[in-house]
Amino acid sequence: MKLRLAVFVAGASLLAAVPALAHHSFSAEFDGHKPVRLVGALTKVEWTNPHSYFYIDVKDDKGNVVNWGCEGGGPLALSRAGMKRGDLKIGDTIVVDGYLAKDGSHLIDARRVTLPDGRSVYGGSPGDGGPPDTSATSKK
Amino acid sequence: MTILQICQWLNDSPVGTSIRESDFSFDLIETAHVLGITLMAGTVAIFDLRLLGLALTRDEVSDVAGQVLPLTVAGFVLMVVSGTLLFWSEATKMYFNPAFRFKLVLMLAAGLNPLIFHRTVYRKVSIWELSQRTPAVAKTAAIVSLALWTSIIVSGRAIAYFH
Amino acid sequence: MYLLPFFEWLASTRLSEAMSASVWAFAVVEMFHLLALTMLGGTVLILNLRLLGLRLQRRPVQEVARELSPYALASLAVLIFSGALLLIDGPLRYYSNAAFRIKMLLLALAVIFSLTLHRRAIRSERNARIAAVISLTLWLSVGLAGRAIGFI
Repeated sequence: MKLRLAVFVAGASLLAAVPALAHHSFSAEFDGHKPVRLVGALTKVEWTNPHSYFYIDVKDDKGNVVNWGCEGGGPLALSRAGMKRGDLKIGDTIVVDGYLAKDGSHLIDARRVTLPDGRSVYGGSPGDGGPPDTSATSKK
Repeated sequence: MTILQICQWLNDSPVGTSIRESDFSFDLIETAHVLGITLMAGTVAIFDLRLLGLALTRDEVSDVAGQVLPLTVAGFVLMVVSGTLLFWSEATKMYFNPAFRFKLVLMLAAGLNPLIFHRTVYRKVSIWELSQRTPAVAKTAAIVSLALWTSIIVSGRAIAYFH
Repeated sequence: MYLLPFFEWLASTRLSEAMSASVWAFAVVEMFHLLALTMLGGTVLILNLRLLGLRLQRRPVQEVARELSPYALASLAVLIFSGALLLIDGPLRYYSNAAFRIKMLLLALAVIFSLTLHRRAIRSERNARIAAVISLTLWLSVGLAGRAIGFI
């Protein structure tokens, strides 16, 4: 009786999860060996915990536009790095340096964001193996 | 109102929004939630180990229960309060998150297990604990408890992996 | 710090490449880290509550310690082993993380304290309360520093 109950519970749990599984990517980590630079127009900003998300439309070599997600720190981390909510407006072109999600989805772990006014905001720390600092106006 | 609509209403409410966009609240609540696992599951694990005869065997089962389970209950309260606030701030995302759904169902089971245990075999604990041999049913409940809380912790952590 | 060459070497190992190449390895290792921390936390809490005279008073302190220590030590071993694997997934990232450094320092203090003064307090039952408070504070701080790693 108990075994049947256990199987039922397990089955029910899996069934409960299946509809949601269809929509999702599983990315446990970002690949430190795959640095990426994306340039694109901002389509959406989520100024949220535990992570913020910036979505940008990026044109690939063939001219196709692909929407990429860039995962940043939460509001506190962003403001400590020097970024304020008003710094980003939909339609702004930004440059994002980061690492590719391990599952290959269109998501990067945004380490540096270069804003339209040329300011560069860096979420990491010097020497942490993050993308090399090539801009002259970066902030620590 | 559908469940999704309720989630969206919670999500977009002032409380949900302020936690979600906060500088400190979310981190504090989440820290309480993660470290609270120790208070809740770490203590119940020790009681389960007692039932299985693997720890504190010189103590009567009912003694260990009386000493340890109140801590578990305090931990559970902490987890429910912090968990509710976390859910409130991300309710829409949680609606669509498979790991979160799985975790909820597991928690139902985790609630049923002690309910059944305390109403059945544990009722007679003063009789069987004297013989120093825990009934198989009680040991089953202990194993189920350990398995469920492990799965709940794992699926809780997995929530972050489903964007 | 002079440890930088060591961390750079860690980043160059095949284990590091394997960990960072794998989609699931970090997640699985992290689960073990979390479960082991739950077990360690539970045993540390109850043992120190006994030292404070607040729980399981019917049993001698030494007996409670003897019963729970194997679980505490096993959990700690899993924590250290899994922690090393998590570290090697991205050594430089942790090297420059202030919370990580503080956590390692606190961990060292907690382990040394547990194996020396804390044990002595259990054996002799002298300074039991202060030993319990220090132990709880140290281990809680290790946990908090661990959480802070993700915020920095």
